[in-house]
Amino acid sequence: MANAKISLTINGRAVSAEVDTRTLLVHFIREHVKLTGTHVGCDTTQCGACTVHVNGTRIKSCTMFACQLEGAQVTTIEGLAKGKQLHPMQEAFREHHGLQCGYCTPGMVMSAIGIAERYKGKALTEDIVRHELEGNLCRCTGYHNIVRAVIAGAKAMSAG
Amino acid sequence: MYAFNYHRPSSIAEAVKLLKASSDGRCLAGGMSLIPTMKHRLASAADLIDLNGIRELAFIRREGDALVIGALARHVEIADSADVKKSIPALAALAASVGDPQVRNRGTFCGSLCFADPAADCPAGLVGLNGTVITDKRRIAADKFFNGLYETTLEKGEIVTGVSFPIPEKAGWAKFANLASRFAIAAVMVAKTGGGVRVAVTGAKASVFRVPEMEAALAKNFSAAALDGIKISPDGMNNDLHGDPDYRAHLVSVMAKRAVQAATA
Amino acid sequence: MYVGQPIRRREDFRFLTGRGTFVDDVQLTQPILHAAFVRSPHAHARIKAIRTDAARKMPGVHTVLTGADWLKAGYGEAEGVWPVNDRSGKPARTVNRPFICVDNMVRCVGEIVAMVVADDRHQALDACEAIEVDYEALPANVVTAKALDKGTPLVHPKFGTNEVLESYHGNPEVVEAGFKKAHHITKLEVPTNRVTASPIEPRAYMGHYDVMNDRYTVWTTAQAPHIVRQYFTKSLRIDEHKLRVIAPDVGGGFGMKLYHYPEEPLALWGAIVTEHPVKWTGTRSECLMGDTHARDHYTVGEMAFDKDGKILAMRFKTLAAFGAYESQWQASITNAYHFTMLSLAYDIPGIFTEVKGVYTNCTPVDAYRGAGRPETVYQVERLIENGAKEMGMDPFVLREKNAIRPEKIPYTTAIGITYDSGDPPELFRKMRVLAKYDALREEQKKLHAQGICMGIGICGFFDMAGAGPVKMMNDLGAKIGCYDVASVRVHPSGKVTVFAGSHSHGQAHATTWTQIAADRLGIDIEEIDLVEGDTDRVPFGIGTWGSRSLSTAGMAVVAACDRVIEKAKKLAAHMLECAPSDLVIENGQFIVKGTDKKIAFAEVTNAAYHSGDRPKGLEIGLEETAFYDPTDCTYPSAVHLCVVIVDPETGRVTLRDYFAVDDVGRVINPMVFEGQVHGGCAQGIGQALMEECAYDPSSGQYLSGTFMDYAIPHSTDIPSFGIESHTTLTPSNPLGAKGGGESGTIGAPACIANGVIDAIWHLGVRQISQPMTPKKIWHALQSAKAGR
Repeated sequence: MANAKISLTINGRAVSAEVDTRTLLVHFIREHVKLTGTHVGCDTTQCGACTVHVNGTRIKSCTMFACQLEGAQVTTIEGLAKGKQLHPMQEAFREHHGLQCGYCTPGMVMSAIGIAERYKGKALTEDIVRHELEGNLCRCTGYHNIVRAVIAGAKAMSAG
Repeated sequence: MYAFNYHRPSSIAEAVKLLKASSDGRCLAGGMSLIPTMKHRLASAADLIDLNGIRELAFIRREGDALVIGALARHVEIADSADVKKSIPALAALAASVGDPQVRNRGTFCGSLCFADPAADCPAGLVGLNGTVITDKRRIAADKFFNGLYETTLEKGEIVTGVSFPIPEKAGWAKFANLASRFAIAAVMVAKTGGGVRVAVTGAKASVFRVPEMEAALAKNFSAAALDGIKISPDGMNNDLHGDPDYRAHLVSVMAKRAVQAATA
Repeated sequence: MYVGQPIRRREDFRFLTGRGTFVDDVQLTQPILHAAFVRSPHAHARIKAIRTDAARKMPGVHTVLTGADWLKAGYGEAEGVWPVNDRSGKPARTVNRPFICVDNMVRCVGEIVAMVVADDRHQALDACEAIEVDYEALPANVVTAKALDKGTPLVHPKFGTNEVLESYHGNPEVVEAGFKKAHHITKLEVPTNRVTASPIEPRAYMGHYDVMNDRYTVWTTAQAPHIVRQYFTKSLRIDEHKLRVIAPDVGGGFGMKLYHYPEEPLALWGAIVTEHPVKWTGTRSECLMGDTHARDHYTVGEMAFDKDGKILAMRFKTLAAFGAYESQWQASITNAYHFTMLSLAYDIPGIFTEVKGVYTNCTPVDAYRGAGRPETVYQVERLIENGAKEMGMDPFVLREKNAIRPEKIPYTTAIGITYDSGDPPELFRKMRVLAKYDALREEQKKLHAQGICMGIGICGFFDMAGAGPVKMMNDLGAKIGCYDVASVRVHPSGKVTVFAGSHSHGQAHATTWTQIAADRLGIDIEEIDLVEGDTDRVPFGIGTWGSRSLSTAGMAVVAACDRVIEKAKKLAAHMLECAPSDLVIENGQFIVKGTDKKIAFAEVTNAAYHSGDRPKGLEIGLEETAFYDPTDCTYPSAVHLCVVIVDPETGRVTLRDYFAVDDVGRVINPMVFEGQVHGGCAQGIGQALMEECAYDPSSGQYLSGTFMDYAIPHSTDIPSFGIESHTTLTPSNPLGAKGGGESGTIGAPACIANGVIDAIWHLGVRQISQPMTPKKIWHALQSAKAGR
């Protein structure tokens, strides 16, 4: 076993730890930092339930090692709401019933915010959203309401 | 996953030194193929040399008559790059078809070449566009880079730093993706350059391959119709849940035509 | 009124902010050990030796356990809750799914051979690799259609056959007569593919044994926690009062999370042995291999029509795969859910079906959303579609012609099930308008002329939802009582906690159950909370499956609330000096009808606990429990229609439109209901076009071990849906509500299949088995072209 020391920022909070180099970012977030909102749904980098933002970019935290994150800024689902005040994308998912069991939801919301940021200032169409959600699997909703939520959430983000 | 030592060099020289010093070292760029393989215990390394700290590898630029892409250029950057879209739009289209958005945010073109997955898109880009792989010590022509399933001609301790593409007159990309993995069941890069026409296929065999009959036909007449009647043999084609050799051979023809249509659109 | 309103979900805040608590999220003060398993890489093999010594010495390893240890501990088996009942009178051949291999024979890929418990997951997996197992590979039987053929390897040689059971249903004399006078007969092979539910949350279990108090706790990804507790009385032989089963937030179940999977007792066993909490969280690969698979029917059917397209009769022969063992609920599919609904939405005088359950060297099969009915609808609707085409009739019109007229409802089918409510012709009429059917056929003509293969798929059906009643389900084989339960605890403050025996894993009970309770109690929904999924807190309930929760647990909420109100009214009447019958409840107040006399709900509830001044004989407190046994199943119905485009060059299907018109009776929350239809349709679309648990027919190797090969629909594979409702109330419960959870998965496979065939019928294609992957469609087109 080999270890590595890391210091990074998660949701604005400085975190330092010594971890087994094999520790995936998602396991670091869940098991060391105890932020369990980021989930694991597959082992082939497909389902996207583990999506977080690293330095402002949405990535799959199951496919990065924690030791790669020295100095990085990480945002997880727990870093979005301010107290009881939901982020506009979270609010859009609630309003449009974009979740059922809630398991894919954190990754879905993080991905959706990534989409909104990527298309900032441009109109999001259903087609764009569906293509941009290809890295997030949902088994409950059939995507219908998620697509609507992402479009509405992106609109609310640009208005806010 | 098996244990490994982690290294994060900040220069190519340091990375080469680390790689050479290791009994079993591997470079890590985007990690989108390597890390899942390690998770399944199908790959391992005593030392993992993370190239992400080497800033000089993160670039996409025109260099005279060539487009050069650094080892840390992510798929999303290639897909979005104004330089790429202007000089080789087919390469931008290929990059936009890799994996999914999160994978494209992290994965790299050069990393995909080094992994040499038989169904990966990038090898067809390299071979079809007649690119040149640039390493810390030499330049390797596209046709000399791959060496079968998951194998390349890279030497021990050699690091890919980038890839250079000549600017084609026309090029087109067409991919038929596996519904599960979104990897290619068959995908084709077609390019017309001063040096001739190249047709490179991925996903259909153990490694990327060219189709000389199609290249010859397209050299005479660069149109989809020129490919009519060219039969692709199913011999050596992959056989799996998603495609048998006959189907794949047929798809190669269809994708080649669609790639030509994309190139001439 | 809250019922009928699209109230936004009350559970969303925690899920949207990452504060849901799924099993893998549960934190304990003690360190949690990790379990990992050595699994059979063979479909069928004899184990000659297991060597665990090296693994035991590996760093971090606490214990290594095998089947020998299991036998030594005297543990038991996973008995079925729906045991096989062979209707021919012959004994059923049941072999329960083992938790760990105890007889040195492995009969499917993934079967557990040994368990390692270690400090962390890497150590546990390292130790698993150090365990050596000598296998003698044996020939495997993985093709359902061939399971009973001579020479096929036997999964359980002691029976001398792979047949588990055999059953017959229907009215064969009418069928014979129907075929005799038929104007046209359509015959087809209509197999249903083996799929798996694949919720995004993998199965996970954590076991804990509190030595001091002799109490066990299991956290589990389960849909029915009390049933899990009952299973443990047989597996680890733990008494029910000693075991607490907690099913916290569960990330999708779809029927697949109903069973006592091997890893569940093994995790607790590990905890007992090590005296530490032990957790196992499945990887996707383990889940695709070890989660129960579903469907996998090989069916041949024929249908007899008269000259006007009226269906006279139909008959089927089905081989229903059980896999290598009988999973705990599997017999309910062959013996309750599959054949019963064969009449679909149609008035069909003669129906006969013969079903044989068969063992194969594959993962055990059990219920997955729809359980038996997707197969039923597919096999019947494919025959209707091809029959209509062969007779040159419009398939929509032919269906309308055969639809059960509303005046014939209650309608008893040839199988003997009585549909209590519904109006199929109206569903078809609404669909014709919603989908603009006539314009679609016009468009299809134009597109076909341009070489574009557009197709329209249709299906119509009834579902049997909401199991029980207890007696009816007992008669169909259930050993568990199919009632459900709710307790309504009114606190002195007037706030309310509802405890229900159902379990929400996406169904929004925290919203819909409190909508019902708020209306019944006349108070604000925010003053009510719901508790589910904890056997120490909730009375013995049967859980959530089979679109049953609303018509059982939901009605128990109604009944318990009504009892609360009845009692509270007695006290309020005493306080207001009137008769209970003079009182109405509005906005949290008891009001004497026609006066301005009133008293707040909270004042009454406080008095219920704290006042000595109460009517004579009225017990202290305000808490009521209702065990609700429904009078019937519910019979929701639906018509689906899709529009597909097939690319004849690649065989790829693009799904352009998908419409559903559903009759689920009273809808508690239309937003939640539509979400159920969307999700169900997406799963049915997946089954039709891409999903398959595939085995190599020669080696028996499992080919769908990751999401790289098992394709579940992505966002780009699914269109937006057009959903409408038509409401007829069921007389079987006080709200008139029918189950709405499964319509999508039941209808979509048939609907899509009919659409694809419609798109390429003119090219000569008559049938393609599901999943209709590009590869298969292309081959079908080539065969048609070659005239084969």
